[in-house]
Amino acid sequence: MHIPDGFLNPATAVLMYAVAIAFLAWSWKKVKATYPSSFVALLAISSAFVFAAQMINFPIVGGTSGHLVGGTVLAVLLGPYAAMLSMTIVLLMQALFFADGGLLAFGANVFNMAIIGGLSFFLIRLLTRNSNSSGRFASSVFAASWFSVVLGSLACALEIGVSETFANAGGIMVTVPAMLFWHVIIGLGEAAITTTLLTSLQRLQPAVMGGLALLKVKVKQ
Amino acid sequence: MKKYLAAIALILVFLAIFIPFASSNPDGLEKVAESFGIEVHEPIWKGVMSDYSVETVKDPYVSTLLAGVSGTLLVLLAAFILGTAIVSTKPSTVSDKQCHSGDATRSY
Repeated sequence: MHIPDGFLNPATAVLMYAVAIAFLAWSWKKVKATYPSSFVALLAISSAFVFAAQMINFPIVGGTSGHLVGGTVLAVLLGPYAAMLSMTIVLLMQALFFADGGLLAFGANVFNMAIIGGLSFFLIRLLTRNSNSSGRFASSVFAASWFSVVLGSLACALEIGVSETFANAGGIMVTVPAMLFWHVIIGLGEAAITTTLLTSLQRLQPAVMGGLALLKVKVKQ
Repeated sequence: MKKYLAAIALILVFLAIFIPFASSNPDGLEKVAESFGIEVHEPIWKGVMSDYSVETVKDPYVSTLLAGVSGTLLVLLAAFILGTAIVSTKPSTVSDKQCHSGDATRSY
């Protein structure tokens, strides 16, 4: 879902930079105010894991592939605010060193994956409210991670759809259904991996589930 | 510290095992662009290891693994610096010290 340079109009790119920076400033402030300094190691390792996981594309039907984005993984491990910053670091390193995602499109990529990914935290909180069942937790994670990818792809489709590059192809009227078609499927991969990973971690290493403390969720072992 | 090093080692082992199985099919966005006949132009900035490979290494597995390991360590370092930068600007509190002792009951 990494948008390369050349797919966005300059105005869209600038707007998405502004939106991304606003969210990042908010999360920076929140992290500074509410996180203990012991979270730094978990932040670094979770970010490194997401970078590695994003390299492994899984094939899906129709000659396409997807990979874990990891927004919801980070949201549960780190809470929404540090998750946004963590994913932004991953995207920055990908753009700077690996030319994966454009530099002009960076703001849009941060919004589509880091911001929406981090915000999936609140969907989990909504879905698990007043429940401490591990089944409810797993299904909430599944739904939230699927939704974060689909919503990210919708944002991406709108951003590229209004550009000159895609104008001849038909603009948002074609980019939106096309992007949603693939990402409804890719999102299932995201959801399966995210749910497996987080429920296993919950069982094996419950101490690392820092985001859950923020969620105030207590899941039965 | 031992726990953290083990986690990093686990991530690198994960890369070494799964890189050969990674699909080279286009991703969702690339597929959509392709289907509308839109070509991805050569990027303005090519990075250092574009397309997750080290140019000077011929073997594709080793090349991708080197890129993956360097990237993982780069992200680890960058995120650590960012995290340190954020928490170093705030005054340390009692709850911080408690969290340092590493008990599982910490709360954010």
